[in-house]
Amino acid sequence: MEKGLRYRSRLILLFIILSYRPPLLIANQPGAEEKDLVIIGGGVAGYVAAIKAGQEGLKVTCIEKRGRLGGTCLNVGCIPSKSLLNNSHLYHQILHDSKPRGIEVGDVQLNLQAMMKAKDTSVTGLTKGIEYLFKKNGVEYIKGTGSFASEHEIKVQLNDGGETSVVGKNILIATGSESTPFPGLEFDEKRVVTSTGALSLEKVPEKLIVIGGGIIGLEMGSVWSRLGAKVTVVEFLDQIGGPGMDSQIAKEAQKVLKKQGIEFKLGTKVVSGENTGDNVKLQVDSAKGGKPESLEADVVLVAIGRRPYTAGLGLENIGLELDERGRVVIDSEYRTKASHIRCIGDCTFGPMLAHKAEEEAVAAVEYIKKGYGHVNYGVIPSVMYTYPEVAWVGQNEQELKSQNIPYKVGTFPFSANSRAKTNLDTEGFVKMIADPETDRLLGCHIIGPNAGEMIAEATLALEYGASTEDIARTCHAHPTLAEAFKEAAMATYSKAIHF
Amino acid sequence: MASFATATRLTTRLISRRVAQDAASRGFRTSAASLAAQNFTMPALSPTMTEGNIANWKIKEGESFSAGDVLLEIETDKATMDVEAQDDGVLVKITQGDGSKNVQVGTRIGVVAEPGDDINSLEIPADEQPAQKEAKKDEPERKQDSQSAAPEKKTSGPKKTGEKAPPQKYPLYPSVEHLIKEHRLDGSAISEITPTGPAGRLLKGDVLAYLGSVSSGRPAEIKARFDHNSHLDLSNIKVAAPKEAPKKAEKAAAPETPTPIYHVVSSTISLARVIEVQKKIENTLDTFIPLSTFVARATEIANDELPLPSNYEPTADELFNQVLGLDKASRKGSRGHYLPQISALPSPSFTGVAPKPKKQVDIIDFLAGSAKTPTPKPRKTGPHGGISTGSNIFSLSVPKAEEKRAQTFLQRVKAVLEEDPGRLIL
Repeated sequence: MEKGLRYRSRLILLFIILSYRPPLLIANQPGAEEKDLVIIGGGVAGYVAAIKAGQEGLKVTCIEKRGRLGGTCLNVGCIPSKSLLNNSHLYHQILHDSKPRGIEVGDVQLNLQAMMKAKDTSVTGLTKGIEYLFKKNGVEYIKGTGSFASEHEIKVQLNDGGETSVVGKNILIATGSESTPFPGLEFDEKRVVTSTGALSLEKVPEKLIVIGGGIIGLEMGSVWSRLGAKVTVVEFLDQIGGPGMDSQIAKEAQKVLKKQGIEFKLGTKVVSGENTGDNVKLQVDSAKGGKPESLEADVVLVAIGRRPYTAGLGLENIGLELDERGRVVIDSEYRTKASHIRCIGDCTFGPMLAHKAEEEAVAAVEYIKKGYGHVNYGVIPSVMYTYPEVAWVGQNEQELKSQNIPYKVGTFPFSANSRAKTNLDTEGFVKMIADPETDRLLGCHIIGPNAGEMIAEATLALEYGASTEDIARTCHAHPTLAEAFKEAAMATYSKAIHF
Repeated sequence: MASFATATRLTTRLISRRVAQDAASRGFRTSAASLAAQNFTMPALSPTMTEGNIANWKIKEGESFSAGDVLLEIETDKATMDVEAQDDGVLVKITQGDGSKNVQVGTRIGVVAEPGDDINSLEIPADEQPAQKEAKKDEPERKQDSQSAAPEKKTSGPKKTGEKAPPQKYPLYPSVEHLIKEHRLDGSAISEITPTGPAGRLLKGDVLAYLGSVSSGRPAEIKARFDHNSHLDLSNIKVAAPKEAPKKAEKAAAPETPTPIYHVVSSTISLARVIEVQKKIENTLDTFIPLSTFVARATEIANDELPLPSNYEPTADELFNQVLGLDKASRKGSRGHYLPQISALPSPSFTGVAPKPKKQVDIIDFLAGSAKTPTPKPRKTGPHGGISTGSNIFSLSVPKAEEKRAQTFLQRVKAVLEEDPGRLIL
């Protein structure tokens, strides 16, 4: 017992030593104190920057008005949707895919309330986790709404009432984005919903229309389709998945999702919509001018994209510029017109992805602290967490084609992969695109089981400028799905063994 | 001595460049093992070193050396370094003498042989790697020469850029390694290939371009495209019309840089009781217990569960408990690691502190000669130098945040030593 205690106290001591930072002389009046960095927004961009700044020994304050850290991603985005996607998939699989595996299941019931509770538990645990990391790294956390009083001072309307102000040597704007509304359809989050409302519908709608066939629309469409809704996706473009997804992959994804019961209307424009209170009526039109059509649904999810959110921030007070699409104008070091004010994440340029924001957060703090930071925007992966997952990194085929850049392609189907075969889960393929002469990897596109995890390998390969031969000459464990990745590399630079 | 790579051990680790150079040219190097004398080439002492000066040889021609002996001193632009021998051997010949300037890495600087070999009858091997610099002076013939030394002809003529490529990073990528082996490229050839990968890494395409199997500009073209894609596209930003004219912002004052300040916390503690107990034990048990034992044990006890310093950083568990609202149960103290400085109480006149007002002696008593001046106890030299058997100053030097913690510690030491020191032993 005594020895155990000693050991533990030694461990704790070690922890203290490791996490020891030289004590800073802190002025006693909080109002008068100037912080090294004040961050507006506690989403992925803001909280990561706050923790990183704390680790770098900066005095840092993070202002968040939601009352919970983690921003859209943790509270109403990536995280809760993944909970619903995972559990709805499990439900769907038990319902439809257990018999051929030799599992006889009796009566299967959906308990939507319990499923939502599981989601909330995950969200709460993770947001609390960030609060803990704030404490651990000495980040001051203010719950309130910040706005610029001057170039160095932020006024904060506290959530608990009252007002305070913080002065920062550096200021970081990380206020994120919000769902773009559809003109003429007002969000009530009951019948006309954003992704936020779609994450907490009280019951499974009979009919759900998703406006926008991008990643958010397809993920939420999948959830409710698996739980029993009749889902129709209306997309203006001729392909699903948004412009980043490789066309060949997008076609395959559409085929698979259609098999799962989702109906698609591509190249279709929503002309107008009306929320009657009992249901929602939409007038749609073929984008290329066809005959109009009328659609009806219990719930309409508007997932046509997100727009930067800087309302109430008082940017006009200090003359900071926005571009036409509401993005805060920055330079390559994330500086706004006022060089001590920087901006990262969804509210400025670049793809609206949590991991992009995270990279920028670290880079921005490094610019402040060390004068140099770096994000490789050419190597940012994207993942769609439908089933099967779709993931990609680098350039896609249509992009290269339109830029007249020569390329070669190698693919490998999961139907020829031993692990996928044993899992009875063989939909999809790995597609690699490389330079035809030098074999340098230009992009990788995967649809299939575990694509989201597998893309990390492609990202690493791209980051290091690898050729497909480098991937193919790297040993991959057997039997794994990752072998399909290796075989696709082999198919690109020479020939696949198993296909 | 198998090859030149094993002939020397460098005080600075031989960088992989050399190892790979050796590996790449293993084809014709292994035969050298049968020769008793081998070329000893200019080593690369750092990843970026391409040339160096020979300061001086520590071993003369004909002298033998053993493993660990310093063979010579090499100067680079950064430092002067010793080159040590890894095996025993004989220095047969010095080809680049003391003071040779700008000797390229890989150039022969001497010839070494096995210990005990008769150096007069040994055949001196030919210089396998002519200096790059020389090769450049009278190219292309010299370069062609060095290639014909390779046992296999390349299928397509390697493309020479003529410029010096930055030094390669190792390990090489699998595809690069493969091509190099396949085409028997040696170290000097590798160092001529221009890398286009991230952070100057050599890519498959770079080797292919060098070998002439793809167009020479291709890798650079791709690199330019990747570089372009790696940045946010901030061109053609169309700024929305500003809503209001900017206001003047006032500059806030810069904060002072913090400097850690140490405070001395001290307490006067009498060891009189301790000495008493010490004597008692010596008389009854016939064992002498040094004062240091008492002090050490008192310190041990006093260090237990001290109040936390004001800047104490909670542990992961405690923080998590706080987040969950369980911090009521969290600990209020932690074990200290203080070791007090002990010195005998100096006489008040030396302390610099104003002495406490003494009790005024009654003038009548003084005149009657019956006044007892309150003299401090005579200071005996205790068993430890500098420690008084009477009052001693126990002091600690601690950061400001730990002042209270240190005071508590000293109070406890005082209590234990002055009240019942016997319990420390029994």
